Amino acid sequence: MPIQINTAVKSKEYPPYSVTVERGKIKEFARAIGDLSPFYLDDEVAKAGPWGDIIAPPTFPITFRDEQADTGALLRDLGVEIGRLLHGEQEFEHFKPIRPGRTYLCRRRITDIYEKAGKSGPMAFVVQEATVTDSDNDIVAVMRQTTVVRL
Amino acid sequence: MKYAKVYAEDVQVGSEMPPLAKSPIQQIQLTRYAGASGDFNPIHQDAAFAKAAGMGDVFAHGMLSMGFVAQSVTDWLGVGSVRKIGVRFAAIVRLGDVVTCRGKVVAKRPPKNGDGTYLVDLDLWAENQKGEKVITGKAVAVLPSRT
Repeated sequence: MPIQINTAVKSKEYPPYSVTVERGKIKEFARAIGDLSPFYLDDEVAKAGPWGDIIAPPTFPITFRDEQADTGALLRDLGVEIGRLLHGEQEFEHFKPIRPGRTYLCRRRITDIYEKAGKSGPMAFVVQEATVTDSDNDIVAVMRQTTVVRL
Repeated sequence: MKYAKVYAEDVQVGSEMPPLAKSPIQQIQLTRYAGASGDFNPIHQDAAFAKAAGMGDVFAHGMLSMGFVAQSVTDWLGVGSVRKIGVRFAAIVRLGDVVTCRGKVVAKRPPKNGDGTYLVDLDLWAENQKGEKVITGKAVAVLPSRT
């Protein structure tokens, strides 16, 4: 018997939250992927590089989490357990490099929820978009994520 | 790994990205990625949990594989070149799987309005050791011109 999810949260906007990028977190993230570029890991090499410091890898904004707007919040909103989630799609658009020590503001919202039959049964697709801005109010990155809920 | 600057003139439509073959997925890498990314979904750590959830065993974070795909682009075209990257997670990546990232140039767009950079459109995919696609995707990279 498929479960029901709470589709009333479609178009919900989560409270904006700020994140400060820690230098060590960039390095930990790059190493976890096994991407050993000195532009992520080596302060000295990066200092002489195009940005004058290390920058974050393209998928790093996935770490921009907040208790009020993270997977836990999504699960509560949808009324489902974490074991039912799969990551369906993910996109990052980058407009400015993400740098250590900077504080960014994230605005996340649910842009769509739809259901359709999957190979292994009914599925719900939850689409979220998060916009990351810097202290100049410039858009630094936009993330779009489709989460699949196995119903 | 290559960090030399790649120019727009160095790639053409049809140019193939050098394949990036990653090491076999180990549990420790999933644990490290959980800590680094903040994604502590037990389905990537706890075999009993994954089994009870109907997934058979633990499997890799999709975002880890996407990290591999992003690395394949930046290893080739340079750190900071990725303007946009989007993927669909087509199949589960399991412990022991070897993920190889591949791609090719599908379009090259000339500079606009005096901006000297080209936009290069890439088709990307990652496959496991059986040749099954685990990720399909696209990226847009910014490349400077030599001129």
